[in-house]
Amino acid sequence: MGRKVAFIAALFGALALVGPAQARVEVQWWHAMSGVLGDRLNELVEKFNASQDKYTVVAVAKGNYDEVTNGVIAAYRAKRPPEMVQIAERGYMTMLLSGAIVPVQDLVEQKGYKIDFSDFIKPVASFWSYKGRMSAMPFNSSTPIFWYNKDHFQKAGFDKPADTWQELEKQLYVIKSKGISECGTVLPGDFYWSLLENYSAINNQPYGTLANGFDGLGTEFVYNKTKVVSQVARLKKWLDDGVMQIAGQGFSPEQLFTSGRCSTFANSTASHGNIERNATVNWSATFLPHESDINPPLNSTIGGGAIWVMKGHTPERYEAVAAFLDFVAQPETQVWWHGATGYVPATNRAYALARERGYYKDHPTREIAVLQLSRGTPNESSRGFRFGNFVQTMLAQRQEVEAVFSGQKQPQQAMDDAVKRGNEILRQFEKLNAGKTPENERP
Amino acid sequence: MTLRLSIPWRDARAPVLQRKHGSAGSKAVPASAAGSARASGRAARRDQEAGLKRANFGDGPGLPTLLLLPQLLILLFFFFIPSLRALTQSVLLSDPFGNNVQFVWFDNFKSLLASSDYRQSIAVTFWFTVMQNVLTLGSALVLAFATDRIVRGRPAYRTIILLPYAIAPAIAGILWAFLFNPAVGPLAQVLHGFGIAWDPNLNPTDALILVTLAASWKHICYDYIFLVVGLLAVPVSLMEAAAVDGAGPIRRFVSIALPMLGPTIFFLTVMNFIYGFFETFAIIDAVTKGGPAGATNILVYKVFVDGFVNLDLGSSAAQSVLLMSFALICTLLQFRYFDRKVNYGV
Repeated sequence: MGRKVAFIAALFGALALVGPAQARVEVQWWHAMSGVLGDRLNELVEKFNASQDKYTVVAVAKGNYDEVTNGVIAAYRAKRPPEMVQIAERGYMTMLLSGAIVPVQDLVEQKGYKIDFSDFIKPVASFWSYKGRMSAMPFNSSTPIFWYNKDHFQKAGFDKPADTWQELEKQLYVIKSKGISECGTVLPGDFYWSLLENYSAINNQPYGTLANGFDGLGTEFVYNKTKVVSQVARLKKWLDDGVMQIAGQGFSPEQLFTSGRCSTFANSTASHGNIERNATVNWSATFLPHESDINPPLNSTIGGGAIWVMKGHTPERYEAVAAFLDFVAQPETQVWWHGATGYVPATNRAYALARERGYYKDHPTREIAVLQLSRGTPNESSRGFRFGNFVQTMLAQRQEVEAVFSGQKQPQQAMDDAVKRGNEILRQFEKLNAGKTPENERP
Repeated sequence: MTLRLSIPWRDARAPVLQRKHGSAGSKAVPASAAGSARASGRAARRDQEAGLKRANFGDGPGLPTLLLLPQLLILLFFFFIPSLRALTQSVLLSDPFGNNVQFVWFDNFKSLLASSDYRQSIAVTFWFTVMQNVLTLGSALVLAFATDRIVRGRPAYRTIILLPYAIAPAIAGILWAFLFNPAVGPLAQVLHGFGIAWDPNLNPTDALILVTLAASWKHICYDYIFLVVGLLAVPVSLMEAAAVDGAGPIRRFVSIALPMLGPTIFFLTVMNFIYGFFETFAIIDAVTKGGPAGATNILVYKVFVDGFVNLDLGSSAAQSVLLMSFALICTLLQFRYFDRKVNYGV
């Protein structure tokens, strides 16, 4: 009801403004950015709308990623989907095989735009493309980096956090034993992403068979046979020794870091905006640690979201969509978005442009994510993840890790159970999508 | 009066109707009178109901149907159609966009019953609802008894006790989560001060206690208001007689008021179970998100997570069908076993 009224009001407003001049084609973009990020996204859309006079993109905040996904599903089933929707990285397989989307690269090329898709940073491109063709437009790409409290480390006699988990552990225990801070590190809310999945990529540990699912839906999790088990054991030990704290519900982990209570924090590079604004401490950031026997470490993988184009709209609207996607891919847009939010620039050209302008001299921590993502050549373990129902398997895994933290299970047992539960979920996805490949229907 | 009329299968209603026409002055119908009225109730009721209809609705079913229509439509759109869709979805395996649907018979139910996760959720729900019920009803009884004894400022007390009902469950949840957060929560600090290693983020029992407390706190007001009204209906003459015989306030409450509150308490028990089963979702979401390790993952929360986060619609639908059956069985059992012991004669 409220939306209808707003829509009609907007319609009249638009008519009054545009008047008899040519009508702009309006397309909707549903997104999940809130707070500062939401404001920046709206600025981006305004820039696009002001840059030309044929198309209007209307950005609609639909809540968090889950809510956006549910919203677009409901809208699609009611045959009224938005033209574009921002979906988180974990939803890739669901969207790819949904039969409800138009692959981005097909659309853009058909509409005659020349986006250089080979210029996208490798882990970004490989994550969002299927058989070398981009399925969705990378939009807000992030990766976890390692934030730390400079003062705490200096007081303990260290320069910065060590490169390896082994050395870092010693440092954190020193910080704790000297009473410099209450806890060495705080467990991130999405620890499964930063400390298990990206940990596996960086340390060249396979997460699932068939190249982490890139080679087929028959993939099975294998992280119960890798260093992930000892990583979970390490976190449990830190927790028991008071070196790591869990913020828990009612309180965000980030606050434990920005308030100076905990000395380090493995979290997304996208929290630059928040940390710059909220931190009362002298902070900095560095690369995520790696295992001492893994050298050199591989690239980390991305998180965040991409813009998917939904099926079922008119060619004129797809013109507008293609124009907007082309705008998003422009180096200028990328550099602006990178600076405004902390998300990584998605293309090499944009990164070079930011470097050229000396952006990283003033903002050295903003470069870490790009460097970490683009170091080395991604292999089967570090290219990304292609698991169906990836949210569901992740929640099962998180539950099992929590069972370790609460002392109900041993790490090996918990990871065995997580893999077993995860594989059942993967089999269900495989059963549902047996023999299916993404449809490459053109609009 | 309307409340009683809406339970048509109750014989106990007879004395009430009779009272309407007969002994309007006295508040209580003596037990013997109620008994005899019950015996002759059936014949009397038929006459009265016929009279009622003629008097109010004219001839034919037209007007009553029209008056019932809004409620029937609401039931149709918000109960029957969704229930039917849940039933059909529960035997399907489908992608969230509905482009790929397979009929899988009872696979969703089978895999649910085979999963340890689901069995844990049933156990958690059982303990949660039972604990919540006892705690809510117990506290509400104590509060109702206490405010019933107070003469000065009684409305003020009642208003204050009723206040939590006006707070949105999600806000109440966040409040409790914060107060008992082991890192920053003031009440958690108090507990730590007593040497209790309180940590609902790690300890499953602590988490279950916390959500139970939060859910009960939110629902005490509901039980309380019913009990206060119930206590008002206890005949003063009986209480006075007992007082003259030397019974103290607690004795009077336990031996006279409590049995007379039977129907209210029974009703509240049923309502508390339904509350625990269906309406505690927001509190769980705000306080624990079902964690740690699924320790507070009650059935209704699991329905939500599997349906709206995991997008496993078939399983979620199967779960909601099962949950509805559990609630139905639970309510029927309560009617079957406890209803007989309740004295409706007052």
